[in-house]
Amino acid sequence: MRLIVVKRVKTSSLHFIGIPVLSILIGLVISTLIFASIGVPPDLFIKEIISGFQSPQTLRYFALLTILGVALMMSFRASIWNIGAEGQMIWGMLAGGYVALFVAARSMYVSPSELPSYASMPGVEVLDASPVKPVISILLMDPTLGKLLMVLFGMLAGGLWALIPALLKAYLDIDEVATTLILNYVAYQLFNHLVSYNLRGLSVQARQFFRTDRMNSALLFNLIPGTSVTVQEAVMAVIFFVAIVLIYRYTTIGLRLKIIGSNPQLLRSVGVDERKYILLAMFLSGMLAGAAGVSISANPGIGKLEKIANVVSPPTMNLGYTAILVSWLSMLDIKLVPIYAYVVASLFQGSSLLQSEINTLLPELSLTGAALTYVPIGSILIVYVVLRVFADYSIRVRR
Amino acid sequence: MSTQSFFSSKEEGLQSLSPVVSARNLWKSFPGVEALKDVSLDVFPGEIHAILGENGAGKSTLLKILYGIYVPDRGDLFFEGRKAVITSPQDAVKNGLVLVSQVPQLIDTLTIAENLSLSLRQFGYVSSVKKVSKFLLEKGKEYGVKIDPDIEVWKLSYTQKQLVEVLRALLLNAKVIAFDEATTLLPHAEKEKLYAFMRLFKSKGGTVLLVTHKIPEAMEVSDRITVLRRGEIVGTVKTSETTIDQVRHMMFGERLSQLNSGRYEKLSREGSETLVVEDLWIRSDYGAYAVRGVSFSVSRGEILGIAGVTGNGQLELIQTLAGLRRAEKGKIRLRIDGSEINITNKGSTLIRRLGIGYIPDEPVKKGISLDNTIEENIVVHPQLSRLLINWNKVKNLTSDLVREFNIVTPSTSSRAKVLSGGNLMKVLVARELTVSKLALVAYNPTRGLDEVSARYVRKLIVSKAINEGMCAVIASEDLDEIMEISDVIAVMNSGSIVGVFRSGVSREEIEKVMVG
Repeated sequence: MRLIVVKRVKTSSLHFIGIPVLSILIGLVISTLIFASIGVPPDLFIKEIISGFQSPQTLRYFALLTILGVALMMSFRASIWNIGAEGQMIWGMLAGGYVALFVAARSMYVSPSELPSYASMPGVEVLDASPVKPVISILLMDPTLGKLLMVLFGMLAGGLWALIPALLKAYLDIDEVATTLILNYVAYQLFNHLVSYNLRGLSVQARQFFRTDRMNSALLFNLIPGTSVTVQEAVMAVIFFVAIVLIYRYTTIGLRLKIIGSNPQLLRSVGVDERKYILLAMFLSGMLAGAAGVSISANPGIGKLEKIANVVSPPTMNLGYTAILVSWLSMLDIKLVPIYAYVVASLFQGSSLLQSEINTLLPELSLTGAALTYVPIGSILIVYVVLRVFADYSIRVRR
Repeated sequence: MSTQSFFSSKEEGLQSLSPVVSARNLWKSFPGVEALKDVSLDVFPGEIHAILGENGAGKSTLLKILYGIYVPDRGDLFFEGRKAVITSPQDAVKNGLVLVSQVPQLIDTLTIAENLSLSLRQFGYVSSVKKVSKFLLEKGKEYGVKIDPDIEVWKLSYTQKQLVEVLRALLLNAKVIAFDEATTLLPHAEKEKLYAFMRLFKSKGGTVLLVTHKIPEAMEVSDRITVLRRGEIVGTVKTSETTIDQVRHMMFGERLSQLNSGRYEKLSREGSETLVVEDLWIRSDYGAYAVRGVSFSVSRGEILGIAGVTGNGQLELIQTLAGLRRAEKGKIRLRIDGSEINITNKGSTLIRRLGIGYIPDEPVKKGISLDNTIEENIVVHPQLSRLLINWNKVKNLTSDLVREFNIVTPSTSSRAKVLSGGNLMKVLVARELTVSKLALVAYNPTRGLDEVSARYVRKLIVSKAINEGMCAVIASEDLDEIMEISDVIAVMNSGSIVGVFRSGVSREEIEKVMVG
């Protein structure tokens, strides 16, 4: 008697729903056991993960991971392994921040005696009421237009940054996995330099602080009450998702982006320059990542750009890497991206809830946020990959 | 003729022997296709057994089941009378069956001996490179194959690689060597070498299983022929007791009527020149000139056939005409409605937009995307869709083409990978003929197609030339094909055109110039 593996003729829809659900459940059981073995009580872990799924704060990660998941899905489907969403987000932050701080509004010194009259003007905000050198921010254009420009320039910058590895790949055949990853660290360093010198705020007096001024509050995105997600990022997530679905379904651009991932030689043989589509896939991917970057820095909870003290915790919250998991879990099927964006967002949120619980209840464990986040995400991913085999293959007994 | 009568021709003598390989009631289905329906087969020791069928008949599926690449849905396999469960090539090899595939599976940077010792290890035997070298020299002598075991594989020609695969089978102690369309890509003289090997192997007690879609090949070399049609066994006949016509009838059934006509009716066409090529010089991938000062012109509705022994610059010429390779010198011009466009090195996008179809060499690798649907493989062509895709229109166009070209597929939205090799080729030819408004450039346009499909494709090319004034430049390794469809035949040798013939010339005359 032997067990043999046979490819299924058709994947049943039961598998389609059942496998993700089952992998989440089994993955959570495994992570419970892992945490239990190092002293985290199972009931605490489960409680926090469940509250992660219900927390209104999860919605913010959900929106951002949807945008980023769609962005990465586009390049992955074209067989371009864009690991550089982090750097593209950073450039989105820089360009969006520049527009907010120097184009749509600007900060200036005023004389202390004039401060009260400025403060009463519409569109003016006092950034620093220091009696010696007060700083104000003056709005220079309609704030809606300003926000739109922030997003557009952020997308453009993210897209252009992504074009660097794309050009290297398309015309010099240089592997994009290495270049996109390295460029993330280049982006972090450039960000630090620009934020510390060129974009450094007038209101930042102390020598040891390196950051920009606060963005004019009229230019900050608007929070949906009771959550930390902004209206703008939620709208962007919906628009991008729908637009990309439509592009894939109804345009030759989408079709070619798909085909470049399966057989670029076909494009060449029918007279389409496949290199242009490599550039396009990366540009679109970088644009969406840039938009995600803008929405992080324009969140009222942040509202400024600040020097990265430690590259392990950049302002992107490492979502550019986390989103790789989102696109893999959805197996590059765009329709599944929001579902897994929600699952990963919940685990992300659940883990940070768990972290604060552990820090207060069990400080001796000294677990970091990353360990807490990636144990459940990793366990689920592994189980998913194993179970997924059963969707495509069945196991039979032969005698 | 009833199909029943084919079964009665099984020979008495063979039945007394027990079959070396035997398949019983095999069933296998793929998404939307029933690839094998209740197939049973007996292969006896010491015979060359041909499995014949048109594209998509199930030949490859049957062979892949015997070799453990596929597992049947139902049915059993027996090797020398013992029931065997074959789930991997290792199992098949252990039972004495080795496959020689169309594409040699060798690592280019290793020597022959290193490659073979690797594959021994893969099948669970351990042997040193030195021992393998010695064995190769011995076997080479025994079978009259000159071979240097220490030469790197990338230096070998295609035929030599094929022979290495054959030696590998001997090394693995094969009782049965299966050839999967292994001769399709070989030039005629090289085929003879392979046939000679098969006969020698047989005389030493070995068994050969030859999977092919070419009737003459089966007739020439085999002892018995089993014909498959649409996944079912039509019958097994003894080669010495059958005729080409009988086998054809078994293979194509009611479609046979499409095979009858001889040459095509040609009108004398005195059209205006459409494609003019002047003093073209093209380099090969290795930097040497592959095409040296070629000039010709093709008129409206005219078909120019480029004959020649493989590797004399035909491929480079065709690629340059399609805009995929740079011309170093010379001009390619198109004349459309009185105006003239210089398309030399203008890029494939412009050339394809102007209405030039292209059938590439290695068609399935370069001209089809297996992970995409048939519809997507059609509409990918820039001439067939603008920015927005009207899927209803695409569906209609695709189903028209599927009907017209007799493409065997579950549906127009099936992924290309469920189709057989011949049907993939038909999808490609269908797409390219649809977009060839002005001209078609092609390299081996019917490679891998069975006789009926190949003839059908040629007929479509000719009728498109006659009815719509399309001109064509077609390079082919198959001289019969060139002679069948061309108005003018140009023979290439060492990068130059060494002879131009109007149709009606004899085969011998052309062959003389080809090698001269």
